[in-house]
Amino acid sequence: MPSIRIDRHRMTIIREGVESIINPIDCVALEAALELREREGGEITVISMGPPQSEEALREALAFGADQSILLTDPAFAGADTLATSHVLARAITRLMPFPDLVLCGKQTIDSDTGHVGPQIAEELDLPQVCGVHEIHLDGDSLMVKRLYDGFLDTLRVSLPALLTVSHEISVPHHIPLGNLEKAFSEGEVIRWGLEHLDLTEEEVGLCGSATRVWKLHKAAAKRGGDIASGSPQRLAEHLIRKLEALSIIDEEEGKG
Amino acid sequence: MKRKERDSSSKDVWIFGDYRNYFQNRVTLQLIAKGRDLARNLGGKVTVLVLGEQVHQYAMEYVAHGADAVMVVDHPNLKDFQVETYTRIVASLVGNYRPDIFLAGATPFGREFFPRVAKRLKTGLSTDCIALEIDPENQLLLQTTPSFGGELLAEVITQNHRPQMATVHPGVFEEQPHDHQAIGRIIYPEVDIARDDRVQLVRSRPEQSKKGHLEDAPVVVVGGRGVSSKEQFQMLSELAELLGGEVGATRPAVLAGLAGEERLLGQTGKKVKPKLLITVGTSGALQYTTGIQGAETIIAINRDAQAPIFKMADLGLVGDARSILTLVLEKLRKRI
Repeated sequence: MPSIRIDRHRMTIIREGVESIINPIDCVALEAALELREREGGEITVISMGPPQSEEALREALAFGADQSILLTDPAFAGADTLATSHVLARAITRLMPFPDLVLCGKQTIDSDTGHVGPQIAEELDLPQVCGVHEIHLDGDSLMVKRLYDGFLDTLRVSLPALLTVSHEISVPHHIPLGNLEKAFSEGEVIRWGLEHLDLTEEEVGLCGSATRVWKLHKAAAKRGGDIASGSPQRLAEHLIRKLEALSIIDEEEGKG
Repeated sequence: MKRKERDSSSKDVWIFGDYRNYFQNRVTLQLIAKGRDLARNLGGKVTVLVLGEQVHQYAMEYVAHGADAVMVVDHPNLKDFQVETYTRIVASLVGNYRPDIFLAGATPFGREFFPRVAKRLKTGLSTDCIALEIDPENQLLLQTTPSFGGELLAEVITQNHRPQMATVHPGVFEEQPHDHQAIGRIIYPEVDIARDDRVQLVRSRPEQSKKGHLEDAPVVVVGGRGVSSKEQFQMLSELAELLGGEVGATRPAVLAGLAGEERLLGQTGKKVKPKLLITVGTSGALQYTTGIQGAETIIAINRDAQAPIFKMADLGLVGDARSILTLVLEKLRKRI
């Protein structure tokens, strides 16, 4: 089984270039963690809640340099809103020995884009939080972090343990060497925790543990829909210039009045 | 499905008073107007919650803009908008007064503060709503929010938990005009205002941006996933400059490193209302288009004739952006 996975994964990589299967902003958070470990020591655990197939992303995290990967997976977790998701993630964090000094999250996920989960984990674990940081320095028992906020560059001191969400400026994820990837897929271990291991009940997770429900889904109605032009670049460029003139964005050409 | 009985709540609508940057950031005023509609529908009142130091001027403003009441917690401890301290105070007030609905602007503070408040109150929160209505049948708040990669709109409800919480981007709703004769109650609740010192602001300085404000630009040129290189993005910047405008970007373009996050438009970025918006290589995902709906005129350039962006464009050009823009820039350089 694992060897098949390597091949599948390598094919994916060859086909899609350098694209990663981890959420891009989570890659950035992981890279930031690697840089902190480089400077300050420590260990990195990557935790993700998802269906069994998320294991591939967690293997990729090992190849990336994480010390440990944990997949929180259980049929009961399905359909969770951010309240229920943050509950499962927070519980998993309390199961880590020792309790982490720092919890890092991506600022937003690409699929739902809510940005709730970080602050909600912090709330459940009673950790101080700072969102959207682009610089982290350890300073004694606390962190000095920087972030851009409403047009201000803020410098904040945060006592540890703490939770930070990072903005994408914090780091540029390195390229994963193929050898690491092969090793992660053949020898790496992804720990799996389900409902029982986390000492949770079905009522408090997944759809049951969620406060919000999606009531209806519909396609977004298109508001306009004007002229569509195609043809040679010359023709289309002309079209654009004429439109700019019509809108008085540029003056009409002399002599054409 | 087992569910606890719905908490007994009032019919009131609460708005979090985010008054920082008051003259530009009108989202609290916009929410007061919307909250008033919702409260009238439920048979309740709209109350704005204001925390801070010497904030009475804002309380007066909020009444003038339609608030039935303003709840003021004024103390030097509350000078900085600090998530942990604010969460404790606000959650305790919500627990005492039990509003049915609680709204905040999706400002940077609102986006990190409201999830924490919702979690402490163990209730639901929807983000970046583009519509809020009361369902006439069951009096629930219908929270419409872009979903599933932006392809769909989801109507979300919070059935059994209170308050029903939502954040809304600036510019989605319209504020009521200032009425200096309006009358409203000012409430001073009793609450513990101890500070949580685990996060301290060491310093804060304005980050001077080299360019003008994207939000105020009369022309905005946006690059998306289809803009494949820095050189191509540079063409967009030049076009924007020649037309007296600013350049914006979608999330994929920002993630590709073509533009900084301060250029991001859409659900989690800025919303713009230019006279003209030229959007290049953007497919038209809702997460992006919610940021450009206010544009008077939209011109879209995309290779793919089926791209959803064409449905919202006043003029769509199906073709290769690089060739078209090369020609357009040549012509414009000569003329302007």
